[in-house]
Amino acid sequence: MADTTQSDVVFRPKPSLPPPPNTVGVVGWLRKNLFGGPVDTILTIVGAWLIFTLFYSLYEYGIANAVWTANSYRECLDTVLPNGEKVGHNGACWAGVGVWMNQYIYGRYPDEEQWRIQLALALLVLWLLPFWLPKVEAKIQTGLSCVLTFPFLAAHLFLGGEASIFLMITSSIALALFIAVWLNVITSYAMNKSIGKVLVGVSGMADKDDRLHKYVLMAGFALLLVMSLIYVSSWDLPEVTTQAWGGLFLTLTISGIAIASALPSGVVLALGRRSKMPVIRVFCTVWIEMFRSVPLITILFMAVTMMPLFLPVALNPDKLVMVIVAVCIFASAYMAEIVRGGLQAISKGQYEAAQALGLNYWKMMTFIVMPQALKLMIPNIVGNFIGLLKDTTLVSIIGLYDILLMVKASGQDPNWLGLHSEPLLFAAGVFFIICFAMSKYSQHLERTIAGGYGRR
Amino acid sequence: MSMDTSTVDPTSGEYVASTMSDEVVIELVQVNKWYGEFHVLKDIALSVNKGERIVICGPSGSGKSTLIRCINRLEEHQAGDILVNGTALDTNVKNIDAIRRDVGMVFQSFNLFPHLTILENCTLAPIWVKGMPKAEAEKVAMQYLERVKIPEQAAKYPGQLSGGQQQRVAIARSLCMSPNIMLFDEPTSALDPEMISEVLDVMVGLAETGMTMLVVTHEMGFAKKVADRVIFMDQGEVVEQNTPDEFFNNPKSDRTKLFLSQILAH
Ligand SMILES: Nc1ncnc2c1ncn2[C@@H]1O[C@H](COP(=O)(O)OP(=O)(O)OP(=O)(O)O)[C@@H](O)[C@H]1O
Ligand SMILES: [Mg+2]
Repeated sequence: MADTTQSDVVFRPKPSLPPPPNTVGVVGWLRKNLFGGPVDTILTIVGAWLIFTLFYSLYEYGIANAVWTANSYRECLDTVLPNGEKVGHNGACWAGVGVWMNQYIYGRYPDEEQWRIQLALALLVLWLLPFWLPKVEAKIQTGLSCVLTFPFLAAHLFLGGEASIFLMITSSIALALFIAVWLNVITSYAMNKSIGKVLVGVSGMADKDDRLHKYVLMAGFALLLVMSLIYVSSWDLPEVTTQAWGGLFLTLTISGIAIASALPSGVVLALGRRSKMPVIRVFCTVWIEMFRSVPLITILFMAVTMMPLFLPVALNPDKLVMVIVAVCIFASAYMAEIVRGGLQAISKGQYEAAQALGLNYWKMMTFIVMPQALKLMIPNIVGNFIGLLKDTTLVSIIGLYDILLMVKASGQDPNWLGLHSEPLLFAAGVFFIICFAMSKYSQHLERTIAGGYGRR
Repeated sequence: MSMDTSTVDPTSGEYVASTMSDEVVIELVQVNKWYGEFHVLKDIALSVNKGERIVICGPSGSGKSTLIRCINRLEEHQAGDILVNGTALDTNVKNIDAIRRDVGMVFQSFNLFPHLTILENCTLAPIWVKGMPKAEAEKVAMQYLERVKIPEQAAKYPGQLSGGQQQRVAIARSLCMSPNIMLFDEPTSALDPEMISEVLDVMVGLAETGMTMLVVTHEMGFAKKVADRVIFMDQGEVVEQNTPDEFFNNPKSDRTKLFLSQILAH
C-alpha cells in the first residue's frame, strides 16, 4: 500500500558513478588476481615459469622430437633429429601407438567385423538424439526404451553367430522400439504430431474413445515387431566370442552397462532401504552395506573364480557376463546411497502435500520426490559414473583385455618391446576426454535443470 | 455466490451467513493419540456438519495440528474412531485414499512442489489421481487460479511467487480436486502482515461457497467473521467450544479466559 501523501522532504537517490579505473577490465582482473602484492607477484612469476617449462618439455617430447612413422621401437629410438642426435628416449614414439591403435580400440575383434561395433554406436547415438530435439515429446519413454533394450540389440550385434531365442526376441523388440522412436521424430517434425496421433488418424479412429486408440497403437507396434523379428532372424553374422572383445570397446561396454543399470537399481535399493516392510528393508540394507564394504577387485575375483563353481555347468557362465554382473552389483550399492542422500534432502512437507492430494506412494515418488531428489543428485551421480568408468580398468587384473591391458600388451610385442609410456599417455588422454566431457555435461545439466526452478 | 471479496476487510464487517446443514460429514469418537509415551490427543469427540466452519485455536503444542492431520490420516490415531463422509479411517488403504480425495489440506509452509509450474501444481493430482484429461484439468485449474486471483502466474514456478501468492496457489491446488472438506493448518502464520489479508480474503470467499472448513488459526477476526463454532484446545483436550460470539464475549473456562487475554492483549 503506497503512501501517497505529500511531504516536505523529497528523497532523491544519488546517481550511480562508474567504479574507479584499474578495478575493472583486464587490467583490474590482473591486478586483483595475479599481482595483488609482492608475494602474489613472485608466486605468479614462479608459477608461470613452472607451467612454461612443463608444457615446453611436453611439447618437445610429444611433438617436436616425436617419431610418427617407424616399423619398430628400435627404429624410433634410432631416428636422427635435425641437430644430428638420435631421438632415444627424448621423443615419443607415436608410430607404435598408431600401429596398435586398432587393438586399443577394438581389442582382437576381427577387422572385417568392426563395422558391427560402429553400427551399434551409431544406433545408440541416434537413439539418444531425440533428447536434444525440442519438438519431440515422450523423452522419458525414449530414454527408458533405450536403456532397457539397447544392450540386447548391441549384444546380438557384437556376438553374432547362432543367437539364442531370448537374444533374438529382445533385440527385435529393441529394433522395433528404435524404429518407433525415429518414426515419432519424423512425424513430430514433418507433421507436428506424434506417431501415435498419426497412426490413430490414419486408421480413422480419431473420434473413437481412448481404449480403441490403444489397440491401434498396439497393432501398429505388433506389426513393426513382426517385421523386425523377420529381419533380425535373417541376420547371418559370423560369431565373435567375448574372448576377442577388448580395448576401449570392452571398457565402454562394461562401464556403459554398469552406468545404465546403476541409476534404476540404485533407486530401487534406496527406496527399499527406506521401506516400512522389514523384509525388504533388511534385504536392501544388507545388500548395500555388503557390496559397499568390499573392494571391487574382490567382487570381480569372486565373480570369475568362485561363481562358476556354484552355478550349473549347463548355464555355461561367460567370464564377461560374470564381470558385468559384478560391476553392476557394485555400482548399484554405491548409487543406492547417493539416491538415499538425495531423498533425505526432500522435506517432509513435500510428502505430506502429495499425500494430502491423494497421490499414492508410487505416484508421489514418481512425480514429486524423485524428480526433485534426482536434480539435487546430478553432481554426485555423474561423479559416481566417472569413478565407475575408471574402476572398470580393474578388469584387466582378472585378464580381460580392456584398454589398459591392451596398452600393456603393446609393450610386449616383439616389434615394440619397451614401448610403455606412449600407450599409457594415449590411454590417459582417452580417459581424460571421456571423463572431462561427462563432468562438463553434468555442470551444464546442473545449470539448466537443477537451477532454482525458474529462479536464475 | 460471489467470490469477489476484495473490497471487504476479512477481519471485520459482516458475519458471513452460514449454510450449515444437518448432515454430519466428520465424526470423531473418543479419539486418542500418543507420540511414544506422550499423550497428545485425549478423548477427542467432535462432529462436524456439512457446510460448517470451525476455527480451532489454543496454545502452541496443544495438539491442534495433530488433530486435523488425523482427519486425512497424515497422522495415525491409536484409539477411537474417525469417520469422514461416512467412511471409517482405519488401516485400509482404499479408505484412506477415498478420504484424501475428498479432503483438501492447506499447510502453514505452503508445500507447493517447487519443480512444477503453478499450473502443473494444480493439475497433477486431478490428472494422476482422478484420471482427468489434461486439457480439462488445465481448464479447471485456471478457473480456481482465477478465483484466488492469480491466473497470470500460472506459468511461473513457486519460487518466483510471494508467500501470500504461494498460499493462494496452495488453496487453489487443493480445490482442483473438488474436495467437500478443507483443512487449514495455520495458513497465515508464515506470512507477512500485508499478505495475511489476501489469503484470508480467499478463505472468506471459500466460506461463502458453503465449503466445510476446519481452520487452525490465531486470526481471531477471521473466527468472528466466518466461524460457526470456535474450539479451544489445551494439552490435547477440547477445553471449550462455542459460537464465536459466546466464545469471545463470554468464555466459560478460566483457561480460555487466560488464553484470550493473552492473544487479545496486543
Ligand atoms: N512427530 C512427533 N513426534 C513426537 N512429538 C510430536 C510430534 N509432532 C508433534 N509432537 C508433539 O505433540 C504436541 C502437539 O503438537 P501439535 O503440532 O499438534 O501442536 P499445535 O497445537 O499444532 O502447536 P502449534 O501451535 O505450535 O502448531 C507438541 O507438544 C509436539 O511437541
Ligand atoms: Mg501446529
